[in-house]
Amino acid sequence: MLSIYSKSSGSFCDGVSRRNFLKVGGLAMGGISLNDVLRAEAAQKSGKSHKAVIMVFLPGGPSHQDMFDMKPDAPSEIRGEFKPIPTNVAGIQICEHLPRLAKMMDKCTLIRSLADCDSGHDAFQCLTGRSAKRQPPGGWPSMGSIVSKLQGSVSPAMPAFVGLAPKMGHMPWARTGEPGYLGVAHAPFQPNRGSGTGDMELNGITLDRLGDRKTLLASFDGLRRDLDATGLMGGIDVFNQQALNVLTSPKLLHALDLSREDARNVERYGRGENRNRDDGGPRLTSHFLMARRLVEAGARVVTLAFSRWDYHSNNFGQLREDLPLLDAGLTALITDLHERGLDQDVSVVVWGEFGRTPLINAKGGRDHWPRVASALLACGGMRHGQVIGATDKHAGEPTDRPVAFGEVFATLYRQMGIDVTKAVLNDLSGRPQYLVDGHLPMPELV
Amino acid sequence: MTLQSLTLIVALASFSALAAEAPRTLNFTNDIVPILTKSGCNSGGCHGKSGGQNGFKLSLLGFEAEEDYEHIVKEARGRRLFPASPEQSLLLTKGTAQLPHGGGKKLEATSEDYADIVRWIRQGMPYGKASDPTLARISVDPAKLTMPLKGAQQLKVTAHYTDGSTRDVTKRALYEANEKAMAETSEGGHVQLFDLPGDVAVMVRYQGKVSTFRATVPLGAPVDKLPPISNFVDDLVFAKLKTIGMPPSEISDDGTFIRRVTLDLTGRLPTAEEMKDFIASKDIRKRAALTDRLLDSPEYAEYFANKWSALLRNQRTQPTYARGSYLFHSWIRDSLADNKPYDQFVHQVVAAAGDLEQNPPVAWYRQVKEMKQQMEDVAQLFLGTRMQCAQCHHHPFEKWSQQDYYGFAAFFSNVARKPSSFVGEEIVFHKRGIAQTTNIRTKAAVMPTSLGGSALKLKPEQDPRHVLADWMSAKDNPFFAHTLVNRYWKHFFNRGLVEPEDDMRETNPPVNPELLNALATDFVKSGYDMKKLIRTLVTSTTYQLSAVPNAHNAKDRQNFSRYYPKRLNAEVLYDAVNTLLDVESTFAGQAAGTRAVALPDNSYNQSTYFLSVFGRPDSSSACECERTQEASLAQSLHLLNAADIQTQLSRGKGRADRLTQDVRPDDDKITDLYHIALSREPSPAEVKLAHSHLQKKMLGKTGEEALKGKKEAYEDILWALLNTKEFLFNH
Repeated sequence: MLSIYSKSSGSFCDGVSRRNFLKVGGLAMGGISLNDVLRAEAAQKSGKSHKAVIMVFLPGGPSHQDMFDMKPDAPSEIRGEFKPIPTNVAGIQICEHLPRLAKMMDKCTLIRSLADCDSGHDAFQCLTGRSAKRQPPGGWPSMGSIVSKLQGSVSPAMPAFVGLAPKMGHMPWARTGEPGYLGVAHAPFQPNRGSGTGDMELNGITLDRLGDRKTLLASFDGLRRDLDATGLMGGIDVFNQQALNVLTSPKLLHALDLSREDARNVERYGRGENRNRDDGGPRLTSHFLMARRLVEAGARVVTLAFSRWDYHSNNFGQLREDLPLLDAGLTALITDLHERGLDQDVSVVVWGEFGRTPLINAKGGRDHWPRVASALLACGGMRHGQVIGATDKHAGEPTDRPVAFGEVFATLYRQMGIDVTKAVLNDLSGRPQYLVDGHLPMPELV
Repeated sequence: MTLQSLTLIVALASFSALAAEAPRTLNFTNDIVPILTKSGCNSGGCHGKSGGQNGFKLSLLGFEAEEDYEHIVKEARGRRLFPASPEQSLLLTKGTAQLPHGGGKKLEATSEDYADIVRWIRQGMPYGKASDPTLARISVDPAKLTMPLKGAQQLKVTAHYTDGSTRDVTKRALYEANEKAMAETSEGGHVQLFDLPGDVAVMVRYQGKVSTFRATVPLGAPVDKLPPISNFVDDLVFAKLKTIGMPPSEISDDGTFIRRVTLDLTGRLPTAEEMKDFIASKDIRKRAALTDRLLDSPEYAEYFANKWSALLRNQRTQPTYARGSYLFHSWIRDSLADNKPYDQFVHQVVAAAGDLEQNPPVAWYRQVKEMKQQMEDVAQLFLGTRMQCAQCHHHPFEKWSQQDYYGFAAFFSNVARKPSSFVGEEIVFHKRGIAQTTNIRTKAAVMPTSLGGSALKLKPEQDPRHVLADWMSAKDNPFFAHTLVNRYWKHFFNRGLVEPEDDMRETNPPVNPELLNALATDFVKSGYDMKKLIRTLVTSTTYQLSAVPNAHNAKDRQNFSRYYPKRLNAEVLYDAVNTLLDVESTFAGQAAGTRAVALPDNSYNQSTYFLSVFGRPDSSSACECERTQEASLAQSLHLLNAADIQTQLSRGKGRADRLTQDVRPDDDKITDLYHIALSREPSPAEVKLAHSHLQKKMLGKTGEEALKGKKEAYEDILWALLNTKEFLFNH
């Protein structure tokens, strides 16, 4: 019955029957315990690892034409200061300040024609695949919350969904992925902020004392579990056990603790700087490493936000600072995933909320341009070494294969083993909602 | 039977099949669309979604056959159908995945469905004549059945047409059970039961018509000893238990009852004194008396105002809304304290007009801004009817059409606003004029129409919302009283008679219809007296049953043969932890010690992590389901390890500190803790456990060190108590 977890679904509308899906959905109502799910999943595991997604958000809207969609033949006030360089895929060129990425373009796909950007400065669309403008009762859930709801945790000491973004001056950029109508049980774990952070480390008591308390609780907690036929008490037991695991054998903490990583690998990622860039995110390349460690420890979806890309002035000066860091962090991640054999299981997506204006403004900056944006995809068992879509000669409008955010999400869900034409979750009005509306996985990628 | 007669029967049968086959011209709506629906072509995930799929659009679930005909027969320059060679039609080559099809293989080339489509194309793709019969209704056979546990039943579904003809559509109908834990259905109408006793309904859908199969699954245990009947609730619950053969649990003891009813009515734990007095009382009416006392306490109104405030979307989405949200909350609380009849309460919200200052329920219109949203909230919250689906297409599980949707919405068509003297607030008023709106499909004007009623032509000066409220509270309204009694039933019994509580429809029948009707009738007769309804519920023997299962009812989840434990909700748990740890709450702008259940609006969820992580609703919808019931890792971590809780445990003059200083024997103090946390005496084993933990922590220590060990031991005991299921649940 857990075929929903495996990637075996041949074509889209086939695969999991609605009945099977509903059985899994019954978890929410306590029809089956989390243990059952974990056991069944363990029995069914097919690939090297569970499937996962790392979502990298570039707050502010990075200049697509200065990174992934260079226009060297455009007039200088449009093409800007950077030169394209060839990559290891014939015919694909990217920015000279992404040299390491250029050497592994065969492991990546560029989408140059994201065409349905919302116009707001907000991570929402990159986390949900939806416009923030019209939302159902409860709000759209982010991908991580949906995966948490449908697939639960992989490991008893690891949450399914982790969001690494810290608080920022501009909070809509700092979203880690809201649960929307799925409710707080599926909110991301946010180790870098919030009141819940402190709950992961023992507060004011020793491990020994926690052991004592555990024993005491076990003997006091004598209420007959058969009082509850819904599975909720059992569910709390499972999560309590998971929580105590987090506290005593801190898999989660260890995943976040980079000192446990091979020093050479840490070196490869670099660290960046641990402070926010203005009102945007931190330039922490180590978050890329943390994301990989979390996925390896059992997280299914990890979101992170990197730097701040809203360059209304001095676009090129700022990019000269940021691109090498992005180049280092991202290529280290892609290499690492390949070296560990996770490249078939873990998808990576990198994007921002929109692109930037073709014409460079008087302050040497580029302004907001929701008409088109670029995205980069890597790993995840997808077909790579390609460019999808194209823009006109000024990188101003998509001219070929306009791509919707929803299509990218449909693809990512498919790689997670979730059939977007089948899976539905009810919003707070009871209306069944599909995970993406009107989009199918992209045939170029799967 | 002789061989000869058998041959004759076979011959006759094949003859009649042939006779039926040859002359009949197929009809698009009646013969082809059902195939598309059954195959999933027109589902919301494929071509049925608005906008279609890859340039081919069908109406959702085939509700608009005329449009589908256009799209299949005429669009794409006729490529979809190829009359010269029907098998080459794109519709078939794609559907059978002979050509690449994003949706995969939906149709077998050897199937009857395939043959029918071929035949229809060969016949020249007739749409059908205006005089052709149309589908009038469907019926299921059997409609009702008593079945054994793990039993199975094949259903037969018959379509009845307007000319009186019928057709077996079993293979093409769609099936869905309302209790997935009890039964599963497969294509073709086979129902397989699991081993849960009770009632299960299977919704059957075919071309916009619905019907229901209901199975009663008895356990068959003897029900010879029933507890005494207290009121009509018990008559009807016990009658059901007898029918299905499931003996109820014993009646709960006094300690369990006072904790249960105090939590359910006031959202707080009973004090140790209340508990002791109650147990000591010899009054045979003491449970009823306690109920009355709690209902008359201000805490009852506070707790239920918390419930209604969330459902009525009393949100503080901006700082200037604080005044309004306080006023609205107070209005709700005072209405409940005064026991304002429910019909008046609803009338005053639905037809609210004027300035928030004079008339606080105007605040409802502040959060529920648009006509459609106002109608949808009213339908869901007060009438248990979800109209949302019918906005864009015929409701898939219901009789409601788009005409019904816009007709009902038209009651709100003349709500207007103007700025109030308070910054950010508005005055709501009826804009003079004929109330009407537009059906987006037909583009025709629609007059206000109650659900199942006829269109009303109102006078320009008449505010349609008053007409709506009067219709809702009319004695014979089939939705209004039922919805409220079901909602309150769920509050006390942790499961609605209809579940979810705001999704009442023919295809989702109540588990005990007689009980739901009796409660609704009684509620109407009482003049919509909410306290009387609550009194009826909680003084019933059914409510007083123990949660402890007997040999037969451990799996019962819908017959109320025992009390179903419920987890304390976020606010109640927060207050209970504070009570146990002897902490005074500090909410911004509120008096110290204000209970979390008494907070006026949602704005405290952000500042108090405890409340948000345990799922206090944000008042953003009219659905109780916004209050999440699921457990999560973050909740467990917080309760087991929050710095806040640890600080409160160990602070000087806190509960643990004072117990350490207290010179009474430890046994007495342990007993006190059990009284406060669990409203019962500890067992000797539990006292011993606590005792040995105290000793362990003090072992080999003297003076200050020993005291420190003792205090830590009390902290540990308190920590363990507040993490027990017995504390976390109302049982």
